[in-house]
Amino acid sequence: MPGFDFSNYNRNAALHAKGVPLPKATSTGTTIVGCIYDNGVVIAADTRATSGPIVADKNCEKLHYIAPKIWCAGAGTAADTEFTTALISSNVELHSLSTGRDPRVITCMTMLKQHLFRYQGHIGAYLVVAGVDPTGVGLYTVHAHGSTDKLPYVTMGSGSLAAMSVFESMWQPDMDKEGAVKLCAEAIKAGIFNDLGSGSNVDVCVIENDKPTQLLRNYEKPNERGQKERNYRFPRGTTAWLNQKIISKDDLKKFVTVETLAGDDNIAAGEKMDVDA
Amino acid sequence: MSLRIAPPSGNPSSTTNTTARQTQLSKGAPSAPGLPDTLRNKITLPATATASSTNIPALNDIPSSTHPLEARLLAWRATQDAMKMESLRRAYGIAEPVRRGMELKIVRDGTFRPAVLGGMKGGNVHEDILVLGGRDSEVSWEDIFPGDEFREPPTFHDEMEKRLKMDF
Repeated sequence: MPGFDFSNYNRNAALHAKGVPLPKATSTGTTIVGCIYDNGVVIAADTRATSGPIVADKNCEKLHYIAPKIWCAGAGTAADTEFTTALISSNVELHSLSTGRDPRVITCMTMLKQHLFRYQGHIGAYLVVAGVDPTGVGLYTVHAHGSTDKLPYVTMGSGSLAAMSVFESMWQPDMDKEGAVKLCAEAIKAGIFNDLGSGSNVDVCVIENDKPTQLLRNYEKPNERGQKERNYRFPRGTTAWLNQKIISKDDLKKFVTVETLAGDDNIAAGEKMDVDA
Repeated sequence: MSLRIAPPSGNPSSTTNTTARQTQLSKGAPSAPGLPDTLRNKITLPATATASSTNIPALNDIPSSTHPLEARLLAWRATQDAMKMESLRRAYGIAEPVRRGMELKIVRDGTFRPAVLGGMKGGNVHEDILVLGGRDSEVSWEDIFPGDEFREPPTFHDEMEKRLKMDF
């Protein structure tokens, strides 16, 4: 069976009917945001990857490449966002080769929503798609079930409420690039500090019209690990020794007998080695 | 005919792994046809009569589970193709979908690559272009996870026998 494999589904259902508990649903945590400014669009993400209550990665990358001028921030199941964006990236590239034009953000968004709708939310990818194309600037959110939004500033993930509160109070139309980057970083920091599922650093991606895309990895590191006040490293010479003896190479003859043999084969001491002819 | 975009939500309430899925029985050892060959059975993939791309599930494929998503995915392409054909019929009359259907059938039947040489794993490029909406610039999960990677492809003789309906 190509694609998704359902062969264990019936077995698992039967086991569940016999009383085996179902695995618990995992809740995922992320803050991702996006914001349009006068000449482009900025997306940003935190860098915490969780596996249940455990922080699995303190500096993971949630900004995914789709096309040179289209990038995607992903929340939800990390593997699903990773694979879905990679797949759509390939599809977008094939499509742009086929049409001979630059890919459009809305094409990418439509591909994503159709793909995710087909899988009925079983692919847990919640995405913010942003980019610049010949028609202008695009910023969309795509939910795992295939619904989409188009807004001047968007947030997603468990930290979306904290981040949205920053946008709602500080966003204004016609911002410049620096202002937009700063605002997005501020929104992500609100998520990092107020949402348990988000943390670590701020990644930012700036997609600007007629300029190369900038991926600002670890744009801000508000949770730098501080220097510990004390450590367990012992300085050299901490362990005392009772005595010390230094043997130099010249002194070796005092301890072993050294004999020099003549270079002639016949006189060689010991048994001669058998060598094949 | 309807204009369904997504397949109806009917999924099987029960499946079987004994009769329904085992559409073809083991052919047995080549040296002794008719005798069941335990070592060969289920190691080689069954030969298929049509040479259509393996990654396009047909409507009559039997789902291996009662999962609603599986039934949906199996019926997805067929439903979409039927919808496009139906809208063509409404716009241009029956001639248009008939012509396209015939073209598709010609291309499907006219392309054959034995499974031992890779078969139709790469898809049929002519079919991909002709099919409604075009699939020639598309890559999906099925292309990346082909499944059955560890089973041998059906032997050439098996495949030809199946195609020429000589598998009595």
